[in-house]
Amino acid sequence: MRPVSSEFLVLKATALFVLWVLLSGSFDWVHLVLGGVLSFTVAWINSGHSPFVPKFRLWGNILLYLPWLFLRIVEGSLHMSKLILNPDLPIDPRLIRVEPKLGHRSAVVLLGNSITLTPGTITAEVDHDVVPETLIGEADPDALLVHAIDETSARDVTSGRLEAKIAEVFKNEERSL
Amino acid sequence: MDILSVLFILAGLFFLIVAAIGVIRLPDVFSRAHAVSLTDSLGAFLMLVGLALHEGLSKNNLKIIAVLALLYIQNPVITHATIRAALRAGLKPWRRRPS
Repeated sequence: MRPVSSEFLVLKATALFVLWVLLSGSFDWVHLVLGGVLSFTVAWINSGHSPFVPKFRLWGNILLYLPWLFLRIVEGSLHMSKLILNPDLPIDPRLIRVEPKLGHRSAVVLLGNSITLTPGTITAEVDHDVVPETLIGEADPDALLVHAIDETSARDVTSGRLEAKIAEVFKNEERSL
Repeated sequence: MDILSVLFILAGLFFLIVAAIGVIRLPDVFSRAHAVSLTDSLGAFLMLVGLALHEGLSKNNLKIIAVLALLYIQNPVITHATIRAALRAGLKPWRRRPS
C-alpha cells in the first residue's frame, strides 16, 4: 500500500469528470459543479488504497495494438460466418493448450482477452487445478486452455503471432508474475 | 451519408442473423459461444458505426464510442466466464470423432 500523489488524484478526478460530462451531456452550472464535486470526492475516497500509477507508454502501446487486433477480429468473423453458412457445417472443435512466455501478468490477461475477442477461439480456463485431467491431459499450471472451433482458428493461436505482438507491447515493462 | 449508414447497419444485421443461425445449428454450448461472439464483435460494431454515421457530429457519437468500449471490454469477460463455468460443471466439448 503506497500513498498516491496529488498529481494522480487530479488525473483520476479529471477522468471521472470527463465521463460525467460525456454521459450527462449538459453544460449548465448545476451539472458541471455537481459533477466536479462528485468526481473529486470519489477520487479522494479511492486514493488511499489504490496502487494506481498510470503507465502512459504502456497505454499508448496498447492503443496502437487495438487496430491490429480489430483486423484479426474481422478475419475471425468472416471465417466463422463461412463455417456457419456452409451446409456441411465443417467444424472440428478442440481444446488446445497455450503456454505463454510473456513474463507479465497483465500481458497474459491481454492475451486471454484477445483470444476470446476473436471469433473462433475462446479462452476456457486459466486455472488448471479444477479441470479433470481426462479432458486436457496432464496439467500444466502456466498454460491457458483454449477452445477452438476448427483447425484454422486453432492455428491462429498456436502460431504464436498474437503472443509475439503482445510481447512487443510489453517489451519495455519490467517482469512481474 | 445516409446510404453509407444504411449499408453499415445492413452489414451489422447480416452478422447478427448469421450468429442466430449459428446458435441454432451448432451442436453444444462451447461452439455456440463462438457464434454468439460474432454478435458482439462485428455485428454490434457495424450497427453502432452505422448509427454514428446517421447521427453526424454530435455528443451522442461520444456516447456510442463509450458503448463500444464497454462492449469490447465486457464481451470477452462474459464469454470466458460462461465457458469456464460450463467446463467446471463437467460438460464435455462436442467432438467430430468421439475419442
